[in-house]
Amino acid sequence: MVFSSLIFLFVFLPAVLLLYYCSPWRIKNLILFLTSLVFYAWGEPVYIVIMLISTVTDYSFGLLLSNPRLKPIQRKWIVVFSIIVNLALLSYFKYADFLIHNVNDLLGTDIPLTELALPIGISFYTFQSMSYIIDIYRGTAKAQRNWIDFATFVALFPQLVAGPIVHYKTVSEQLRKRSINIEMFAEGVRSFIIGLAKKVLLANNIGLLWHAISETDSGSLPVLTAWLGIIAFAFQIYFDFSGYSDMAIGLGLMFGFRFNENFNKPYTAQSITDFWRRWHISLSSWFRDYVYIPLGGNRRGLGKQLRNILIVWLLTGIWHGASWNFLLWGLYFGVILIFEKWWVLKLLERTPRWVRHIYAILLILIGWVLFAFEDLPLISEYLQAMIGLTGQPFWDDNTLYFAYTNAILLAVLVIASMPWRKLSAAPASGKGAILNLIWCGLLFFLSVSYLVDATFNPFLYFRF
Amino acid sequence: MKQKADRLLVGGFVAALFLISLTFFLLPITRFSELENRTLQAAPKFTWDNLISKKFAEDAESFVTDHFPYRGDWVWMKSSIEQLRLQQENNGIYKGKDGYLFEKFAKPDYTKVQQYIEAINLFAASHPEVSTTFMLAPTSVGMYPDRLPWKAPFYSEEKVNNVIADQLNNSLTFMNGFDFLRPHATESIYYRTDHHWTTLGAYYAYSAYAKQMGWQPLSLKEFQVATVSDSFLGSFHTRSQFSGLTPDQIQAFLPTKPVHSEMYIADTDKTLNTLYDDSFLRKKDQYSYFMGGVHALTTIKSDLDPQSVDLDKLLIVKDSYAHSFIPFLTQHVSEIHVIDIRYYNGTIGDYMTANGIRNVLLLFNTATFVDNGEILKIDN
Repeated sequence: MVFSSLIFLFVFLPAVLLLYYCSPWRIKNLILFLTSLVFYAWGEPVYIVIMLISTVTDYSFGLLLSNPRLKPIQRKWIVVFSIIVNLALLSYFKYADFLIHNVNDLLGTDIPLTELALPIGISFYTFQSMSYIIDIYRGTAKAQRNWIDFATFVALFPQLVAGPIVHYKTVSEQLRKRSINIEMFAEGVRSFIIGLAKKVLLANNIGLLWHAISETDSGSLPVLTAWLGIIAFAFQIYFDFSGYSDMAIGLGLMFGFRFNENFNKPYTAQSITDFWRRWHISLSSWFRDYVYIPLGGNRRGLGKQLRNILIVWLLTGIWHGASWNFLLWGLYFGVILIFEKWWVLKLLERTPRWVRHIYAILLILIGWVLFAFEDLPLISEYLQAMIGLTGQPFWDDNTLYFAYTNAILLAVLVIASMPWRKLSAAPASGKGAILNLIWCGLLFFLSVSYLVDATFNPFLYFRF
Repeated sequence: MKQKADRLLVGGFVAALFLISLTFFLLPITRFSELENRTLQAAPKFTWDNLISKKFAEDAESFVTDHFPYRGDWVWMKSSIEQLRLQQENNGIYKGKDGYLFEKFAKPDYTKVQQYIEAINLFAASHPEVSTTFMLAPTSVGMYPDRLPWKAPFYSEEKVNNVIADQLNNSLTFMNGFDFLRPHATESIYYRTDHHWTTLGAYYAYSAYAKQMGWQPLSLKEFQVATVSDSFLGSFHTRSQFSGLTPDQIQAFLPTKPVHSEMYIADTDKTLNTLYDDSFLRKKDQYSYFMGGVHALTTIKSDLDPQSVDLDKLLIVKDSYAHSFIPFLTQHVSEIHVIDIRYYNGTIGDYMTANGIRNVLLLFNTATFVDNGEILKIDN
């Protein structure tokens, strides 16, 4: 099930709210766990088993680790083994076919592909489980003895399928004891509505423009259309993903959980280093805490630091998908970050703000080209179209049509990407509070109308 | 104040979720949507097989969306917002000038078009004793690209018609709709809110076909034109839900010297005394007034004065453009066989042999023709 669907909004959510708020504290986690299973099974009735297996193993490893009589070396082996189990699950479902495919190509072998579908959310919940084991190992969190509480942490439906990746230590207390009040619930509603509007009103609509442009042969794209296309994609992916995170955070609040923010106005970044502090924060901080720093971070000399940065960014790339373009995308940012640390940041400091901003946006957009196309030749073709190497005119009639029919939407997207005060933190003053209320109501109403229309499916004797 | 606003927001949000949910479960279930012109999803059935195959989940989702309370109003709302933000299209329909809506027409897949042309060539070649005419009519977007929204992308249907004309064999006659419709382009030959031609457009097609066949077509003066509906919002409206449209009129051209015809619908084994079905004029799909909509096989017998019979038997393989066109032919042909190739499961060659057919008309519009592989069945 996805949040931006009518069945979630008007059947699942009211049912869960009713169950949750009518049951005593003792069983609230159980209710959340069971309803999360329904939520997951809705899209993945079979793969639910894999999630449960992963949950049970990590729960057991956690208990093992909390045994005070273990020697350090034994503790280390338990962590290593648990990570291997999680990565094995992830690799088998996510990367096996990519590997087999490349081995076949390289060696001319004919190993059959597994052709398994990727279990929904596996990239997120395996990372959450690993954070749990590592936190316990490091002593930053205590092992969870209550199986239901742990299972709730892994399966919690708000963040189950698309993050944010909740680090165990941020919610360990809340799993045991959390308070709920009107203020928190209201903040949750605001966050949820804003996320829904981002996804349904902004991302989906600008996505249509990207769809129209990306399905045209890149060789025939005028320069401006190519730029318009990748800008559309940049907005689509940001509002889609951050909208989903906002909805997750909002739902978390409605049930008394406070997750960390996942996005912080990434398109206002002044450098790529800055961008990655603002984009998918829960993922970059995961890699920082559980890969970069354990590898030695920046404390073991420049050579090791460069190595560590490259490792983290290749991993970040491949985490996004089992395909060469994602590796390339990760490598691209890794290399830029190295250059920035080396001298670019110092250079940027001496330039005006708008230069830094344009620098960052240009590199981010080029990055999205690498991200958007899985075929490497298509990436090169699209980049050529952007630079004007395909011999196409600068713009044509289509460009004009795309531009004026999306002008208002693009203006809204730009405004929505700017660093305003967060709408979910409603102003305390009288007028501001009322305006905020009306605004939320309007956004919800409009989002529902777009959701209903998306399922509008007239049958027409169109052809015969 | 903040506390009050918080309470209002929470109360309002929860109330909205539960109220809409309740309305959904309490409102009676309708089985058919007039607006969308289709049967709606029935309540999902729970079985373990359905659960594992995700059918239960899919059916349940369609069930909720199909029966969502005040569905039409929500859809209308979205369409209005889209227009406010200068979007010139909604669900694949352009809002053009002079009140015209248009369906997008993109560059067709020419390798497929090639196959369709070959199928028709083969059909004509394997029935040398039969005289075959292929009439290909443009749709409104092909005729009026200048009425599209400013700078809107389109692909020329005329180009497509010309490509097809070039590749057809000489063993059949090709009638390019542009030739006989363009001289009348300033008249109302297409509906503004529907994808069909009007009865007037069909008349000009008939007139051209009759001349091609060597018959004397009836002149416009020999008809009494009756406006049977002035509230027709057709398929383009259904899809786009644009508001502020002027409905189209539907006209019936009734000959001053009427001919009695009987229409036999093989699908339902029913015989009717008329080619028009008034009941559709009170529904959404008013174009089905002509011949009662789509049927796989229909035969029309007309009591013509033996001297005025131009042809005894004609087979028409067609799309729905033929529905308003066929009534004109009853003035000339005593027995018309009509096959809708998408729904007809038999072999057309066999049908022709069994019924002694020696004249065939293939009648399609360009958009249908390039986008539908069913025509490949013609030389089965």
